[in-house]
Amino acid sequence: MQEQSDNFSQSDAPEEIDSEPVEQNFRSEAPVRSSINSKPSILSEGFTFEGTIVSDGVLNISGTVRGTVTAKSILIDSTGQVDGELNTENLVIKGNLKGDVNCDDLNVGPLAHVTGNINYKYIHIQRGGKISGKFNKN
Amino acid sequence: MAEANQQGCLFVGEGVVLKGNFEVPDIASISGIVEGELTAKQVIIEATGIVRGKLSGESIDIRGEVNEYISSTRSLIIRSTGKVSGSINYSEIEIEKGGHLHGELHNLNPHS
Repeated sequence: MQEQSDNFSQSDAPEEIDSEPVEQNFRSEAPVRSSINSKPSILSEGFTFEGTIVSDGVLNISGTVRGTVTAKSILIDSTGQVDGELNTENLVIKGNLKGDVNCDDLNVGPLAHVTGNINYKYIHIQRGGKISGKFNKN
Repeated sequence: MAEANQQGCLFVGEGVVLKGNFEVPDIASISGIVEGELTAKQVIIEATGIVRGKLSGESIDIRGEVNEYISSTRSLIIRSTGKVSGSINYSEIEIEKGGHLHGELHNLNPHS
């Protein structure tokens, strides 16, 4: 409704107007952070967290997490280590992950180690990523 | 890619259906359908190619479909049009965005 009444503000909002099936290929091309205004929550290197994390925004994990993580977007950095369950739309793994994953977009970096059951919609594994477990495309 | 008179190569054209077990010393390029076991040094499954059965090789490049079993001792690439299901064993893997992967993935040398 707002889109029709206010044509001027549209140009500066990176709105996804295109709803054709091509969308699939471009979905995760844009950097994760640009679509979300809030600052990322950061678990720094050397920090260990045990328990459940819930966030509507972006979570950057450079430390260690044991437990369940739910967030809109999760980045496991090269020093990051996660042991547990992940639920997210957008998941980028550069570090280590052991556990079950439910996500839309999965991007596994070349130095990543991933073990677990993975449910995904779109997957991209860069050459060299070590990954094992059960894969299921939704 | 499909140079004529290539020694030790197998080319399966689109529309061709092969059933049986195949040992290919060099390149196997599949645009048709293979049912059974296929072993080659290098395997290329083109976008129209389908393998139903076991597929083994050093380097495997998949733009088409492979069901049941894959074992790659060097590199396995699943392109954006590729569809793979079943048990997959690899030493190095790459999956392009859009590729389908359904099944179990095993790393042949996980400690490297």
